[in-house]
Amino acid sequence: MKTMFDLNKIDSHGGRVDLNTNEPAQTEVKNAIEVRNLNFFYGSFQGLKDINLDIEERKVTAFIGPSGCGKSTLLRTLNRMYDLYPGQRAEGEINFYGKNTLAPGEDLNLLRSRIGMVFQKPTPFPMSIYENIAFGVRLYERLSRSEMDERVEWALNKAALWNEAKDILNQSGLSLSGGQQQRLCIARGVAVKPSVILLDEPTSALDPISTGKIEELINELKHEYTIAIVTHNMQQAARVSDYTAYMYLGSLIEYGKTDEIFIKPKRKETEDYITGRFG
Amino acid sequence: MDAQQYGEKAGLKNMNNLSNIDPALFAKRKRANKLGLTLSMIAMVLGMVFLFWILGVLFYKGFSSLDLAIFTQSTPAPGSEGGGLANAIVGSLMLVGCCTLISTPIGVLAGLYLSEYGARSRIAATTRFVTDIMLSAPSIVIGLFIYALVVAQVRHFSGWAGTIALALIAIPVVVRTTENMLLLVPGSLREAAYALGTPKWKVAFKITLRAAQSGVMTGILLALARVSGETAPLLFTALNNQFFSTNMNAPMANLPVVIFQFAMSPYDNWVDLAWGGALLITIAVLGLNILARVVFREKVQG
Amino acid sequence: MPDKHLSSQFDADLNSLSSRLLEMGGLVESQISTAMRAFTQMDLETCNVVIENEKLVNDLEIQIDLACTELIARRQPTARDLRLVMAVSKAITNLERAGDEAERVAKRTKRLIEAGANYNINVAELRLSGQMAISLLRRSLDAFARLDTIAAAEVVAEDRQIDEEFRGFVRKLITYMMEDPHTITTGLDMLSIAKAIERIGDHSKNIAEFVIYIAKGSDVRHIPHEELVREATKP
Repeated sequence: MKTMFDLNKIDSHGGRVDLNTNEPAQTEVKNAIEVRNLNFFYGSFQGLKDINLDIEERKVTAFIGPSGCGKSTLLRTLNRMYDLYPGQRAEGEINFYGKNTLAPGEDLNLLRSRIGMVFQKPTPFPMSIYENIAFGVRLYERLSRSEMDERVEWALNKAALWNEAKDILNQSGLSLSGGQQQRLCIARGVAVKPSVILLDEPTSALDPISTGKIEELINELKHEYTIAIVTHNMQQAARVSDYTAYMYLGSLIEYGKTDEIFIKPKRKETEDYITGRFG
Repeated sequence: MDAQQYGEKAGLKNMNNLSNIDPALFAKRKRANKLGLTLSMIAMVLGMVFLFWILGVLFYKGFSSLDLAIFTQSTPAPGSEGGGLANAIVGSLMLVGCCTLISTPIGVLAGLYLSEYGARSRIAATTRFVTDIMLSAPSIVIGLFIYALVVAQVRHFSGWAGTIALALIAIPVVVRTTENMLLLVPGSLREAAYALGTPKWKVAFKITLRAAQSGVMTGILLALARVSGETAPLLFTALNNQFFSTNMNAPMANLPVVIFQFAMSPYDNWVDLAWGGALLITIAVLGLNILARVVFREKVQG
Repeated sequence: MPDKHLSSQFDADLNSLSSRLLEMGGLVESQISTAMRAFTQMDLETCNVVIENEKLVNDLEIQIDLACTELIARRQPTARDLRLVMAVSKAITNLERAGDEAERVAKRTKRLIEAGANYNINVAELRLSGQMAISLLRRSLDAFARLDTIAAAEVVAEDRQIDEEFRGFVRKLITYMMEDPHTITTGLDMLSIAKAIERIGDHSKNIAEFVIYIAKGSDVRHIPHEELVREATKP
């Protein structure tokens, strides 16, 4: 497992070093999502003001900020969830691997299968655990029974739920505990193999142990998936994320590496927020 | 018991901080509580008394005529002895059954449309309005309407006309309950389905409807219970049939009309049969209501 | 711009941490002062006072370190607060060692007195660099109290002077000892005292470097002086 010491290894000139070859590391950074000049409106109220940021692939990006700062709004524009509600509209560009998802005529259902979302309240479907996971997969893939079994097992393993669920696959998803339900929702999201997973305050409703399990899960998942997480718990953002974005009243105040933001933020507003000086 | 004694009884020692409790106010509150409870009990007893009285009379008068014959023999001709209600029972079952088959899909689909697709549209608002009116439309008016529309056109009474009339009564009930139950499904469940890339119709059918299924079933059962006892519409449409018949295209025997006919007749066996029929209908309606509650409670708890 | 935390207890704890550091600094400063006075006046009583009070300095180090640990456990401080706690935890080590140096001066002075206290070497430089060390420590603590990075950078620069004085005195001492080998024991004690003063200057420099770390977030230990000044004067 890579530790902070590996990541911080620098040569005598202050540049990053590739641990295998001891040569300067290749800084080839690819962005899964690039947000450009995004403005969002709830009717006449502007919820997001000129947002510009990049979400690097296979990294965890956290969004923090006080209530009403727009972090959930921003997350929900990424998979165009706001489209379900008339009167909400977005202007600008959101480039998902180069393709602008805000363009008219975009297939929303397909987009949402590539950019998945897990919500604050665990919402298992009113079906068995097996069916909960198979439901999403069946939407876009045709799998045989055995292939589906494999996929379900794989997804539950990814969500660290297989051992607890393997004997009760036919029981209703609602019979699980809160933490298990949330992991089921994560398994459901992972099963369709999206590129990006959006997490909207995924542990707010859970106890500390379930929260810890899910944070550990995020640490595992980020090797394969790009993850964006909204959290009002700053310590959680510090624990799980690689990049942090601080938002306030609809604007992006500061965005950078999590370590830098939490040790030496560039903006005083950011520092005031994360140190608890709310005034 | 005053505040001090309450403190002692509750095992709280040194209730020195009860100094801000006004004993007179406390006593007044207790009195008001007692009064409220007493009035509620009286109201409940009053309601229960009538319910049990009706059931009692029904059982008393109808039980004696409940024997095997009631299920095996058809309605007797005027003046003849014995007889049963077989044709009426079968007829009612067929009429209500066909009504269910028609009204359930239409009602559920309409309710689905209203809650999932038509939140703001004009058509939805109009549909809701019409449904509400139909809910409280006098059933005899509906019967007359079908009479003019169907019976007068084909110039004979029929089971189909009766079914249609009953359906017109049942459908608004199903629509309303379905819509209400679907609206109770939390938006977060729908969003979770959308977030997987589920198309709208699938979200409606496979997720929302499924989540509300016990409530929707309850609505259907309640609609059934309502139409099983409707008499007025059947008078103009299915009328009655003295003999055993399963031909829906002809007048159909049914319990409510038979009861209507027999109850005020001079023949004793007819009157007995009427009470028996009334008891049967009551048991059926009661049973459906209890079933609806059990189904709903099970799902809510599970 | 709000400067207070939502939690007033947190504010109080952080402020108390800073003030206890300053308290410890004041104590160490007075220890050095007293030790230098003992040396100048060759007074045994004064030496013993310094040696006795050394215990107080050590106790303070332990107390303040515990307070730092508790603050981290309870509050998980971030950014400026985190840097403050980290810096305080390190600065008290420097102060404790400076206190040790003061004790060393007192002990060596005591030895000189017991050996007869007769020497011909001019120890004016020692007295001078002693004053400079005390002043440097006071100014570094001052810079800490005000989080004044300019003053801190000046402290770092002036530590060099103490180093210069030390080297000069060593040269003089060598000459003195070469002339008369009987003076070697005395000379070595003098060397010890001079070294202690030089180290006190170094500790003050360290504290000044921490001030820049707290205020600007840059770790300026072991970087060239021009860069340090640049970091200290950044807005």
